[in-house]
Amino acid sequence: MSETTTEGPPLEDKTDRKGNGIMVRAMAWFDSRLGLSHQMLRPAPQYSINPFYWLGALATVAFVIQGVTGVIMMLYYVPSPTQAYATTRYIFQSVSYGTFLETIHLYTAYAMIMLAFMHLMRGYFVSVQKKPRELMWVTGMVMGFVTLGFGFTGYLLPWTIVSKSATDVGIGMMGALPQPLASFLTFLIVGSGSDAGELLRFFDLHVVVLPAVLLVLLVVKMYMLETHGVSEPTSGIESLPPKKRKLIPIFPDVSFYLVELAALFGSAVIIISVIFPLALQPEYSASLAGQYVAQPDWYFLWVYQILKIAAFEQAGLPVALSVVTLVFIALVLLPFIDRGKTRSIRDRMVYVTLGGIFVAEVAVLAVWGYLTPGIAMPDETAGLVLGGTALLVTLGSVLAYRAVFGGLRGIAKNRGRGGATVAQTPSSVTIRPVPLRSAALWTLGIFVCLLVAGAFFIGGSINGVIALRLGAPAAFQSFAVSLAGLSFAVVGTMFLLYRLDLGTGSIRRRIRAFELGWRE
Amino acid sequence: MIAEQPVTDKNIIVTERMGVRIVSLLLLVAIISVFVLWSVNPVGSGSESTFALFLAVDLVSVAMISYVERAVAREGRIGKAPLVAGCLFILFLVVAGI
Repeated sequence: MSETTTEGPPLEDKTDRKGNGIMVRAMAWFDSRLGLSHQMLRPAPQYSINPFYWLGALATVAFVIQGVTGVIMMLYYVPSPTQAYATTRYIFQSVSYGTFLETIHLYTAYAMIMLAFMHLMRGYFVSVQKKPRELMWVTGMVMGFVTLGFGFTGYLLPWTIVSKSATDVGIGMMGALPQPLASFLTFLIVGSGSDAGELLRFFDLHVVVLPAVLLVLLVVKMYMLETHGVSEPTSGIESLPPKKRKLIPIFPDVSFYLVELAALFGSAVIIISVIFPLALQPEYSASLAGQYVAQPDWYFLWVYQILKIAAFEQAGLPVALSVVTLVFIALVLLPFIDRGKTRSIRDRMVYVTLGGIFVAEVAVLAVWGYLTPGIAMPDETAGLVLGGTALLVTLGSVLAYRAVFGGLRGIAKNRGRGGATVAQTPSSVTIRPVPLRSAALWTLGIFVCLLVAGAFFIGGSINGVIALRLGAPAAFQSFAVSLAGLSFAVVGTMFLLYRLDLGTGSIRRRIRAFELGWRE
Repeated sequence: MIAEQPVTDKNIIVTERMGVRIVSLLLLVAIISVFVLWSVNPVGSGSESTFALFLAVDLVSVAMISYVERAVAREGRIGKAPLVAGCLFILFLVVAGI
């Protein structure tokens, strides 16, 4: 490539009189015909050129891909219990690239749900739901439910043993909802109660009703986005350099960026579908269904696992569903619950921690539900795992806030006042200063590792004691290893706390407050 | 290195010329991959993965063309790392597809 600008060939042949090249002229040609630069849409700020700002747009891309692949599959699929499986098998086996088509349809559905969830949680953590975007949040939540509805209705259509059994469980759960809602949903989804009616209704909902509802909601949300624009960063727009605050037009800048994201997303889905192609499950039959343990798809596994907790099983399905429904209602009404003025993550520790607990619990429940199909969860185990997860996340959050926003800044202040080590260092020794943020992250990382190791070794020690009591072989060895590990974790934690205390002195102050004494 | 030079009027012209060349090459790759997509025997063994991988080549080419156009129009320079990464990715997909 020619890197020197003075010795290259004359440029007149590729540029017009103003020095514009082919690409600029081509853009100008299209612009003069289509009026693309007339700012039909509100310009976006430069800082929004970031994938996290466009997770919802990527979910929409997934929706479009599903629409295209779904329409192609509709050419072959027949929604009747006698032909649904046969036509699905025909798509897999006889249609050109049929397996690829089915795989892409399923994986983009998964991606759509995952992207919608990421979009939701990102919005939660950066608090986009605050004034004036409350209705955008509510619309987005309804779109999320519609997306889950897509998953639920589409799952039944192949009429496999897995899909039919899981859907039957889901329909059974609907009957346990509060009465007007239960009757409405049963009428909407099940119809007369026959398999044919059920499948036809699921098909209609999947290909007509839900896409139409989602499109309307999408238009409404786009209108609100156009009204309010992209949300500002939580640290405030003043904290950004002028270059990042600059407004850029939707076309070509943002549009081209979205094309990049969409194309890369599409290629990623394609590559995953090549690596993990979908295999068709056996056909549904009533005799096979009795032998099969029904399990929902991964995005409903956390609900499934909650329903398996013994206390909820005893209290009945309505109580269990009410708990899940309350979580959803709280999420929908979040803009009217979290009414604080600030959007800063630093000042919203409680909400950020609650969000972290929600994500961690959903992940733990989903993995647990996947690993233990059909096995009920005792109350003690549920309490230990869910409570332990919440405790760990809370501890991690408190420590992270202390380390990033509070704790180590105290150290820096103390050192700045000349109270600590840097001034006492001999001048011949050069100390490379460790960045504060890096030190905070390292401290936090080690502390979390020690906590996790401690929890692990406590469990191991308890197991070891029980095994010793029962006289199991090699019990002493595992007990000794667990005890040694636990000692290491305790000593490590004490050392870390001591090191932290050197700077802030907060532990010393608290011990003094309890009059336990402290030797200076 | 074009990407590290200060942006001047002359550099912009050179970068734009580079952009045209890169886009032309990427268009060529995209056209060839479309040709492959049409010529793959749909009932042949392994044809699905060949089709899928060349479709991915097409999409990555489109993403790179979009990136080059955006970079030239807005920043006046093209980052080297995304270009190299994209080319290597295309190469990998083509080798896997073949």
